[in-house]
Amino acid sequence: MNARERFAAVMHYQPRDRSPIMDFGFWDETLPLWQAQGYPAGANPDLFFGMDPQWITCGCTLGLYPAFAELLLKDCGETEIVQQSDGVIVERGKFLGSIPRHLRHTLLDRDSWDAYYKPRLRADDPLRLAAGPAWEMQLAEWLRPDRDYPLFIEAGSLYGVARNWFGLEGISQLMYDDRALFEEVVETLADVIVAVLEHTLSAGVRPEAASMWEDMCYSGGPLMSPKLFQEVLVPHYRRITSTLNRYDVDIIFLDCDGKIDALAPLWLDAGVNTMFPIEVGKWHADPLAFRRLYGKEMRFIGGVDKHVLMKSPAAIAAEVERLAPLVEEGGYIPTPDHRVPPDVSLSNYIFYLEEAKRVWGKGLANLRPTGRPQQEQATA
Amino acid sequence: MEDLERLYDAVLAGNAKLAVAVTQEAVAAGVDPQVLLDEYMIPAMDEVGQRFEANECFVPELLISARAMKGAVEVIRPLLASAGAEPVARVVIGTVQGDLHDIGKNLVAIMLEGGGFEIIDVGVDANADKFIDAVNSKNADIVALSALLTTTLPSMKNIMDRLNQAGLRERVKVIIGGAPVTQDFADEIGADGYTDNAGAAVALARRLLGLN
Repeated sequence: MNARERFAAVMHYQPRDRSPIMDFGFWDETLPLWQAQGYPAGANPDLFFGMDPQWITCGCTLGLYPAFAELLLKDCGETEIVQQSDGVIVERGKFLGSIPRHLRHTLLDRDSWDAYYKPRLRADDPLRLAAGPAWEMQLAEWLRPDRDYPLFIEAGSLYGVARNWFGLEGISQLMYDDRALFEEVVETLADVIVAVLEHTLSAGVRPEAASMWEDMCYSGGPLMSPKLFQEVLVPHYRRITSTLNRYDVDIIFLDCDGKIDALAPLWLDAGVNTMFPIEVGKWHADPLAFRRLYGKEMRFIGGVDKHVLMKSPAAIAAEVERLAPLVEEGGYIPTPDHRVPPDVSLSNYIFYLEEAKRVWGKGLANLRPTGRPQQEQATA
Repeated sequence: MEDLERLYDAVLAGNAKLAVAVTQEAVAAGVDPQVLLDEYMIPAMDEVGQRFEANECFVPELLISARAMKGAVEVIRPLLASAGAEPVARVVIGTVQGDLHDIGKNLVAIMLEGGGFEIIDVGVDANADKFIDAVNSKNADIVALSALLTTTLPSMKNIMDRLNQAGLRERVKVIIGGAPVTQDFADEIGADGYTDNAGAAVALARRLLGLN
């Protein structure tokens, strides 16, 4: 069974040899810090840690086209002020794996939407909908019958990118100050997503899943009311998921940190059926609890409490065992609930992976070994 | 002035235009601005905070209510200043060193301001010196520390230590919050209070200062 077949089998509750062993990456600081603990400089983490092949994402650009010019506006020593490709002016750490801090937004209101953003979000822009030899080469790879890794198609964001463009305060006030514009922004984003999905899927590509991103929850819950979410966003999620379903893409995954409890059933109702990364947090999110509430229709990737990885081997082993019944049932691939932070030690992380491979991977011979030098891995 | 409840309702509904208009009418009619603040605006924001805490309203509703109150307060600010009115208390707030996240900090600041506190915002990536200087220069009553990253939690401990060394812990209460922060961590570093949401921060601050 290869990684592609295994992913599809897990997510459809079909027989499989074992769970995929996957991760969610690392903070920027983690791997450099781990070098002092024995991680080989320059090593490929997937190979070094013995991960199964991770999913590859396909599709055309869903972002602003053309993007804004990226400009360095001021060097502040440990931080710098830049204009990003999305038009937002941010201060960002040069050395920290921190989210950039928004200073100013180009998108403020109807006028700036019409002038700077709407023209960059044309669903029928021939330059957005890729063509030509490079595109044909990509298609050939995605269409390859013996492709052995899971393929995901990007299905965008209806709130997250707009929140980034307006800022949290800006988009929050927009919902009340100019609801028509808020609705138009969401509809425009959905138009682009549907057009781009059609372009790729009509070429015959059949990915194992589609991936959306929102990050619209925090430790207290959603950043907008479920009522408004239902009224404005859900109809457009349905347009996206029905497009995907028409092309037999039935695993639709959504990346949202924070406490998702209030929105998860609304996403599920709109056809988004795989929640990622089930950030455990101090609100104690638990994929087992979600499964009890929503049944097998709701699937998960994530759910391993990254904070446990900082604790004792016994605690790590208990976390792996805790999730084992759900791994066995299916519709679930465990990964740490966010990127692994630098306060997890390399030895703890390797211990976690060995436990994961023993329990979720059933210790099978087709697992890649953990923590071997790269050359040895390449032949393993 | 017969219907000052309209001011309460306007702040609660986030109707800035109406809040400002009612405040202007009330001032013109000779209503004490302190009454407008204490009996209508602050109670309305308290109700917003309670609804936020109960997940009956969300960040957008909190922000538009705060904006409505801010507009109304601008109308009465000169009158309060000329009458020598003092804020409920002064709060130095910031995101601790190593952390550039400010959304949580800003929400807490908004709610505290809505509760009648004066806010001295030292920004993000703020080291102990910034907090100590602000406490001394503004004669603050509370220090509020925010962090999103687990790796910056030690900065909170460092600031607590530095406040102790500077002899300020008898003078100020310290409250902490942020996604990785828990009551256990607050107890561990000796903070006076912790809350997991912006709405509850006002009640916590009042309780710590004995203002309830």
